[in-house]
Amino acid sequence: MELQQETNKQFVQQRLNYFRYPVLLIFLILVARLWQLQIIQGSEYSLKAENNRVRTIELTAPRGAILDRNQVSLAEHRSSFTVLLYRESIKDPDATILFLAEKLAVNPEDLESKLRSSRETGLYRPIVVKEVAGMEDISIIEAHRRDHPEIQLVPEPRRLYPYGRLAAHLLGYVGEVTEEELDGKEFPGAEAGSLVGKSGIERIYNELLAGQKGQRLVQVDSLGREVGLLDEKHPVVGGSIRLTLDLKLQSVAEKALEGKVGAIVAMDPRNGEILAMASAPSFDPNAFSTRLSHKDWNALLEDPDHPMQNRCIQNSYAPGSIFKLILAEAGLQEGILGKNTYVTCTGSAEYYGETKNCGDRNGHGRIRLEEAIAKSCNIFFYELGRKLGISKIAEHAAILGLGENTGVDLPGERSGIVPSPEWKKKTLGEPWYPGETISVSIGQGAVNATPLQILRTVSVLANGGDVVTPHLLLDAEYGPKEPEWPVRHVPINEDTVRRIHEGMWKGVNVAGTGYNAAIAGIDICGKTGTAQVVSSETKKRFPGAGDDHAWFVGFSSKENPEIAVVVFVEHGGKGGTVAAPLAREIFASYYKRGN
Amino acid sequence: MDRRLLLGFDWLWLLTLLALSGAGIVAIWSTTDGTSLDSYFGKQVIYLCCALAVFLVLLYFDYHVFSDFIVFIYAAGMVLLVLVLIIGVSIHGNKSWIDLGFFSFQPSEVMKIIVIIALAKYYSRLEGEYLGLKELFWGGLIVFIPMFMVVLQKDLGTAVTFLPIYGVLSCLAGIQKKHIVFLVIVVAIAAPLGWFSLQGYQKGRIVNVLNPSSDPYGLGYQSRQSEIAIGSGKFLGKGFKQGSQGNLGFLPARHTDFVFAVLAEERGFVGSITVLGLFLFLSYRLFRTAREAKDKVGMMIVTGVMTLLLFHMTINIGMVEGLLPILGIPLPFVSAGGSALITYYAAMSLCMGVWLRRYVN
Repeated sequence: MELQQETNKQFVQQRLNYFRYPVLLIFLILVARLWQLQIIQGSEYSLKAENNRVRTIELTAPRGAILDRNQVSLAEHRSSFTVLLYRESIKDPDATILFLAEKLAVNPEDLESKLRSSRETGLYRPIVVKEVAGMEDISIIEAHRRDHPEIQLVPEPRRLYPYGRLAAHLLGYVGEVTEEELDGKEFPGAEAGSLVGKSGIERIYNELLAGQKGQRLVQVDSLGREVGLLDEKHPVVGGSIRLTLDLKLQSVAEKALEGKVGAIVAMDPRNGEILAMASAPSFDPNAFSTRLSHKDWNALLEDPDHPMQNRCIQNSYAPGSIFKLILAEAGLQEGILGKNTYVTCTGSAEYYGETKNCGDRNGHGRIRLEEAIAKSCNIFFYELGRKLGISKIAEHAAILGLGENTGVDLPGERSGIVPSPEWKKKTLGEPWYPGETISVSIGQGAVNATPLQILRTVSVLANGGDVVTPHLLLDAEYGPKEPEWPVRHVPINEDTVRRIHEGMWKGVNVAGTGYNAAIAGIDICGKTGTAQVVSSETKKRFPGAGDDHAWFVGFSSKENPEIAVVVFVEHGGKGGTVAAPLAREIFASYYKRGN
Repeated sequence: MDRRLLLGFDWLWLLTLLALSGAGIVAIWSTTDGTSLDSYFGKQVIYLCCALAVFLVLLYFDYHVFSDFIVFIYAAGMVLLVLVLIIGVSIHGNKSWIDLGFFSFQPSEVMKIIVIIALAKYYSRLEGEYLGLKELFWGGLIVFIPMFMVVLQKDLGTAVTFLPIYGVLSCLAGIQKKHIVFLVIVVAIAAPLGWFSLQGYQKGRIVNVLNPSSDPYGLGYQSRQSEIAIGSGKFLGKGFKQGSQGNLGFLPARHTDFVFAVLAEERGFVGSITVLGLFLFLSYRLFRTAREAKDKVGMMIVTGVMTLLLFHMTINIGMVEGLLPILGIPLPFVSAGGSALITYYAAMSLCMGVWLRRYVN
């Protein structure tokens, strides 16, 4: 019995020995896996642990305010909360989506498309779920912090334009920096997600306004609660800037253009400070502060009236009779127009085989420069133009600042065209025909200019020879206290200035074309313009196809020019009847306040 | 007590146990708050003292005392398992605890050891070279009745541990090849049935191991966080209380089931293979004891305990390393918890008793 059990025990012992191998294999596998996790992939997992633990919270710097010359705020920052979703903290995706949809009224389809498009970006990068959280949203999120640690509120300064459409073109708007802008290094210091100025002042002075964003590195636990601050860099608040703009004058200009398509600019002719700059139709820059929907964006882009375009600088037009002022200056400076130089206007004249008409078909009779300016006599200037020749006209137009950018501190300025034989050869490859000179003499043909160029040119005539740089920046908190604006002095005789002023004064005050701009007791000088868009023949065949552009440009007072105004109404009709009354409103408002 | 017994006391063996428990206590201390008697740390120290006392007390008894009276002990264990179904309390969804007021006690833990002794006793009395089908059936009954009771407590993790005990001891006792084939067929039929009886989350855990990236925020979350914890520990670890995964709550059940991940995060590769080395050394001591045991019952008891220990260790570390599904099985000697710790020290005492009494007649 004893022996048999012993034999039996031998078998058991033998079988026991076999167990060594699977046991050793198990240990080998467990160690190999540790080697893989800790040695081979250790750095990779360290990074994952850091991403778990450390959350970077970007602190956006509040953008500086834009003020008018009297410190009234035209653009300012306002705090609001953005709802962010941290995907790495999601525990139950269905519950998260349900919570966002039911409690925060987030459209599930929008959310899903956002999640899909952000699939490639790091999980620790949050997704913006809702742009502007209301008080209700904030309290709901706070109440559910424990259940939904993946949903977080982040304060974010937002841009507010208190006056909406007012001066929208020059102020511009802000938006998230695009990849192309980042690649092109257009905004130094901007990073992905930064808010930058997209147009106008916001864009050109982005650096002064933007400030520097800060950062908080916090340690979070698995519920997403902050349990410690690792590092903090405070944001640097952006500085405010003050514009030369006068809110009251701007409002008058905006109101004058209501329902019209056009532009008004008012400027101090002595130094180029822009007091008002309105372009119609306008847009509401506040719409860009929250993400603009595709539909609204397309509506703005496809509007035939191009509300996003700043007509003061971003489009050039035929100046029409306004251009006669350049001929007058050229004629006087070149000595062609003496004190008693007369032209006889019979209402029409023939030039190079083509009959040209005057505005007054009965003719102005024997007419001198001053009256020719006041009454806008075409024949006088045809004659003058013919005598000057295109090269002299082009030379004087250039001297007075046409055909080149004014240098205004706004993006996207157009330079207009001052035609000359060389210009035509270069752009069209055709020779210059003398008949064209006749058209150019009254501001038709290839010549065109932006309203701001016209205003600056007239300012040169008003101030007696200073080609100023129109500008909007008065001073900046973090920038030049007294920015320097280049002034080019051109020689113009006192007599020239006096005679042109006289003509323009008569144009407004003594039975001239600009009488609608007249204000009793104020010596306003002005010149109207009615620029043909299509030829008279075409217009006869298609009535209503392209009404004339209405212009008025002027300054005041005659003795002491301190404000210059240009009014442009696209397809508005006659300058004297459409544009001049609007200019009158600007002058009236300017003098009512006792400037 | 015999003087020879005292002289033969294996200090290295006991030190290995204390080293494992010590590593566990440090990890618990590092990853939970407080050091008072009421904290996880304090409680674990008290449990360790109790476990040591049990270890020393049990060492005085010859293991034959247990094997000879195993029928009564087995019956008493079954009574406790029935009792737990009636008056038991639920902790983490498992109704397997009896609340003694000062201490929550898990009868299923002790029952594992009782089953080992009972099966060892039954198989050791057989005299042939191989097991017959009848013996295999009776042996199975000894194991499956308490296992079924544990399944009723919804404690799947503990229930599963009965299977390897049955398997390994049956192999040791001389299972025949044809019976193995028969058992494989039974399992093949039972497995799909078992799959359908699993809870949804239990199925998910198994699917998740097969494809962890299928659901990164769902059930895979725990495995993923555990792998991050281990991996980020790198070679030397982050140091005491420096493990972010453990201390910031990214690791689930960090002081119990996932304590090895805390250890690996804070002590690195060096610390984790040291722990594995301690387990390997322990396995060697158990193996040597089994081989040199005086009789078959001692041999089978030690092999059963070794199986239990290695099974728990493999399942736990395999789960923490992301190799196996998440089953609620703690790491022997290391994880926080009293019942399991005391049970293991009792089992070790039993085995060392076999070692010390290998020459005694």
